[in-house]
Amino acid sequence: MTATALESQLIVGAILFALGMIGFLTRRNLILIMLSAELMLHGVSVNLTAFGKYHGNPQGQVFTIFVLTVAACEAGLALSLFLTLYQRRKSLDVFLWGNLGEDELPVLSGGPPQSAPAKVIDPNADFPHLTPAGRAPKSPTTKT
Amino acid sequence: MNWSVENELLPVPLVLGWLAVCWLLPRERSRSRILGGVLAVAALLGLQSILLPPASDFVRDAMFYVFAGAAILCAGLMITDKNPVYAALWFALTTLAVCGLFLLNSAPFLAAATIIVYAGAIVVTFLFVIMLAQQGGAANYDRQAFQPEVASLLSFVLLGTLLFSLQEWGGIDGRAADAARHGQFLTLPEGVQANVLSQPPASNPREIGSLRVLGRSLFTDYLYAVELAGTVLLVATIGAIAIAPRRSQGHL
Repeated sequence: MTATALESQLIVGAILFALGMIGFLTRRNLILIMLSAELMLHGVSVNLTAFGKYHGNPQGQVFTIFVLTVAACEAGLALSLFLTLYQRRKSLDVFLWGNLGEDELPVLSGGPPQSAPAKVIDPNADFPHLTPAGRAPKSPTTKT
Repeated sequence: MNWSVENELLPVPLVLGWLAVCWLLPRERSRSRILGGVLAVAALLGLQSILLPPASDFVRDAMFYVFAGAAILCAGLMITDKNPVYAALWFALTTLAVCGLFLLNSAPFLAAATIIVYAGAIVVTFLFVIMLAQQGGAANYDRQAFQPEVASLLSFVLLGTLLFSLQEWGGIDGRAADAARHGQFLTLPEGVQANVLSQPPASNPREIGSLRVLGRSLFTDYLYAVELAGTVLLVATIGAIAIAPRRSQGHL
């Protein structure tokens, strides 16, 4: 691989990165923002494989595999977060992330401890929880 | 071509590209896409004539131009399309073109893996989420970009900086003739011992992308990183399951 071929690949990677950055900054749909981030990752991957070819070793491809792994993790987590947000606000607008605070959370600054009893947590509230595995323990309040 | 002349010409396609992207980004009033497309094509052709001199290998050049042009074109269409479903499909096409570039870089395994992971899994999942959450086509926030001029100006300044430094690296006073000395960053510093299991660089350039060399490097040099990546995948799976909303908690 000549230096000219390497340079042209680097140019393509830079253009893909810049286009992804434009999309990341300007689009307001959450999903399109994530896709633009993946586009930036594509630009980086082109760079990595071009350098691997140029230097004649597989390390560029190895790092691209790691990029692929992290992109898959990121996509899964981001999509579940988007679904949670969509369930609350019925919209995918990115500006709605601005006011996502929960009212019932305790204040973490060094104030006096709150004397009010903790609120009864609604079991149907839409914050995340893990599904309990195995048999549920016998509760004294409910008859089975 | 003289180096200074090239450097003076470099901002012209960048400004053209900035105008094209500004014109094409979604606005409140719909605009003609033809003008923006003409501007974008002019910017790409100018960039090609300035930065990419034709090499000797015609077939390789032709394939490179096809794949690179397809990747950039589909990326531009992706970030300017109003409909998120179409944007995701353009992203899938970009992925395919980038996989063609991977093939040119003698990374066939990586090309296959990228097609499977991106076009097969990620884009399909994104499409499912779009169709679940947005049944009514392009929403109001899709039709209006957020500060398109400033953001694209910033990105094109970044792109111009990258291209300028690349030009200085490759084009100035025949420094590209150092290509025979490739591997110059690979020599270990004094006092650092090489990994015993590590594969020496493949003598045959066709062997770089072979699965054997790749797997040896992955599972000897980067074994710790592979374990870490597996852990990250596991944690991300658990987190996605925990975060994703249940059907019992609402309708979706």
